[in-house]
Amino acid sequence: MKSKIFFKLFTATVIASAMAFSIPVSAQETPKLTDAEIASVAVTANQIDIEYAQIAQKKSKNADVLKFAETMAKDHQSVIDQAVALATKLGVTPKDNATTKSFLAGAVKTKAMLNSKNGDAFNKAYIDNEVAYHKAAINEVENVLIPDATNSELKNLLQSALPIFKTHLAHAEMVQKEFSK
Amino acid sequence: MANTYSILRNCACLILFIFLFNGCTSSPEKAVHKVYNVEIKQMQFQPASLTVQKGDTVIWTNHDIVAHDVTEEKEKRWTSGPLAPGESWSLVVTESADYYCSIHVIMKGKLIVQ
Repeated sequence: MKSKIFFKLFTATVIASAMAFSIPVSAQETPKLTDAEIASVAVTANQIDIEYAQIAQKKSKNADVLKFAETMAKDHQSVIDQAVALATKLGVTPKDNATTKSFLAGAVKTKAMLNSKNGDAFNKAYIDNEVAYHKAAINEVENVLIPDATNSELKNLLQSALPIFKTHLAHAEMVQKEFSK
Repeated sequence: MANTYSILRNCACLILFIFLFNGCTSSPEKAVHKVYNVEIKQMQFQPASLTVQKGDTVIWTNHDIVAHDVTEEKEKRWTSGPLAPGESWSLVVTESADYYCSIHVIMKGKLIVQ
């Protein structure tokens, strides 16, 4: 009898906990992304970092930050161009999905945060975000997009993009040291 | 007819003389310069370190999907300028140098002249 009561209490607690805390998208049992959805995530994620770079190019006067932002704008545009060319070749139309929406929602908040800062506070916020953003993007490409991609050319493109993002992360971490002194 | 034969014979002798003279005066130790290739791929210079003789040529080729450059690191004495995907650039090496990609500053390479 006691064990039955304990089991009911335990079950109620688990349900209440699940209702109280929203589970992150990545922790949920998410279905595999289709190639059209992967194309959408790839283009969106790269476009967001171009937009961050454009904010930096407007607001920063720091030579290292400006140089980094210029590289981000050019490299991510190159990746988008490759992704769009491949999607066109394959006849795939990028399709919105939960991951794309999650990236876009995060970008709205981050752009508002960046636009509210100036001077070295901006430089630090921009470069800190670049470190965090590239870590998240690398994780997404390595653990979701590449494993889920079914088309070999799309998989190859993602595998080509991965070292680019890792180089960006190392570059961002190098610039970050300038603002953590 | 005999005159024509004489002219032809003289020309042949002259050509033979020039050929033999050049053969005798050319240094047998004349350096043969080599050509080396450095691939830029997966955001790395491959090989990252290259040992050459003075006067050898190194050709860098960009196999990545983003632009790179090849720039002498310490004093910026030489640079390829931006290399679009698929483009190559060559340098006749005269001295050892550390170099890097000024677009992706963590990409580094080294030339060692023996």
